[in-house]
Amino acid sequence: MISLKKRKITNSQLRTETKTAYLCLIPSIIGLIVLTYVPLAAVFGLSLFRWEGVGTPQWVGFANYVRLFTRDPYFMDSIKATVYFAMLAVAGSIIYSLVVALLLNRKIPARGFFRAVFYLPYVLPAMAVYIGWSWLYETNFGLFNYLLSLVGINKVMFIGSSELVVPSLALIAVWLSGNLIVIFLAGFQNVPRVYHEAAEIDGANSWQRFWNVTMPCMTPIIFYNLLMALITNLQVVTPALALTNGGPGNSSCFLSYLMYTYAFRSGKLSYACAIAFISFLLIGIFTIILFVTSKSWMFSEGGDD
Amino acid sequence: MNKSSFKSRKRQEKAANIATVIILLILSAMVMLPIWWIFRSSLMSNGELFEWPPSFLPKRWLFSNYAKTLEFYPFWHYFKNTMTIIVPSVIGGTVTATLGGYAFARLRFPGKKFLFSLCIGSMLLPTMVTLIPLYIMWTRGFGLIDSYAPLILPYFCGGGAFNIFLIRQFISTIPRELDEAATIDGAGQFRILVSIIVPAIKSAMIVVALLLFIQMWNDLLQQIIYINTDEKFTIAIGLSQFKGSLKSDWSAIMCATCMSFVPGIIFYLIGQKYFVEGIVMTGMKN
Repeated sequence: MISLKKRKITNSQLRTETKTAYLCLIPSIIGLIVLTYVPLAAVFGLSLFRWEGVGTPQWVGFANYVRLFTRDPYFMDSIKATVYFAMLAVAGSIIYSLVVALLLNRKIPARGFFRAVFYLPYVLPAMAVYIGWSWLYETNFGLFNYLLSLVGINKVMFIGSSELVVPSLALIAVWLSGNLIVIFLAGFQNVPRVYHEAAEIDGANSWQRFWNVTMPCMTPIIFYNLLMALITNLQVVTPALALTNGGPGNSSCFLSYLMYTYAFRSGKLSYACAIAFISFLLIGIFTIILFVTSKSWMFSEGGDD
Repeated sequence: MNKSSFKSRKRQEKAANIATVIILLILSAMVMLPIWWIFRSSLMSNGELFEWPPSFLPKRWLFSNYAKTLEFYPFWHYFKNTMTIIVPSVIGGTVTATLGGYAFARLRFPGKKFLFSLCIGSMLLPTMVTLIPLYIMWTRGFGLIDSYAPLILPYFCGGGAFNIFLIRQFISTIPRELDEAATIDGAGQFRILVSIIVPAIKSAMIVVALLLFIQMWNDLLQQIIYINTDEKFTIAIGLSQFKGSLKSDWSAIMCATCMSFVPGIIFYLIGQKYFVEGIVMTGMKN
């Protein structure tokens, strides 16, 4: 609330501040224009042409989109796989990281150690993670089938079966979600002490305090993590690149991977742009749904923003 | 509140804490198990790897597997290449994010609100969407084929909206009186940034550097599309080639995998004490 008292400012001061500010922001402004918003417009523009990287682009209007929805053999499967993966990965990683953060928030010994353990998977390079896990998922000698055999379940194919490949990849995504834990943990630590104390004086037990004090204060963080996890997981591409090549069949041919194969393996750049733009719209729709529904469950402290 | 209920409350709390630690121990064992399994596989012979039932510990710890793998897996070469990309990017990203965050946190200028919302808006914009136009720009527009520049240069352009935001939040927690005192002493805004703000936000800058490092460390797609020759391969591409060329020498593949785990772990251990502190201080609430 310090910012409430407005500082007095003279014209010449404003001029020098403006100059400094724009100097500081030159890199970011270039980044925003050249690397973000212009390419966004370009991706839509290009998708209206037919262009395979050579010659002059040919105007085709919405033909690329029509083709995607009516004749493309991979596109529909790809949307299904992407949404399915994102739902599993988002739900799994939010629940997992919220629970772990909640446990880590208690006054327990070796907190730093536990925190490091849960964060560790996140700092490993993705390529190595997927190669490592492909060995764990190996059908005949892998860890997971060994664990299943200990409880009397027969060997299954994880990466090699079209039913299990997406859940198996989602499990890796959950394992990798240590960064969400840190943000949740930061959120728990920012819940104002006074609220807890007030509730305690009113005689609330710890369970009531959790549901009526901690959780409402956490909803903005949950919202933020949900949003970021959704955006990240709807763009999923690395597991397909590193591990499955979209298979078996099309069962892990995620939208971003489909875009990549069209653009960089068959050179259909403008057609791939149409996929990129659909993927933008898809993420946009999910983002809007999240924003709209959040009004009913997100607690705002009123006047804080 | 009477004394006995206070005591029983204490006891309850202690029991809850013990339960918490037990649950956490089980969960951490589950989280570490895949890493352990990969590591233990790297120390086994291929014969032992394909035995049923598998065991959690190698019969003999064959650290010599690593030496053998290094004979035909040029890890250090890939590592050097990866660092050639990461080091300048992390520096560029941290510096430009700090500059941007400072402008948004402390300076008044026309267009601030607009620029800030553009910046936050870009957080919602998936990077996959802009991949193809950027590829065309770098390779056709600038002729940067088989070059690291398209991977590095973007980091000199703001270092990502989230990082700018993080720095801005962090700077807002520093009392303004400090800058004002310096202004009276005649320091310009850049002097204030360098001599007052930067020392105070060191931990946030380390967090940003670590986040950038992890982001690049995890990137595979962009490295694949911009790098074409063996000579320039990074750890990520090199590892996938290595696996593709070996198919079933899992012991060597696991050695190579474990080697590429190490740098990330080291960087994390160095930066981790700043981590939660850095993010807590920024007050992620807003």
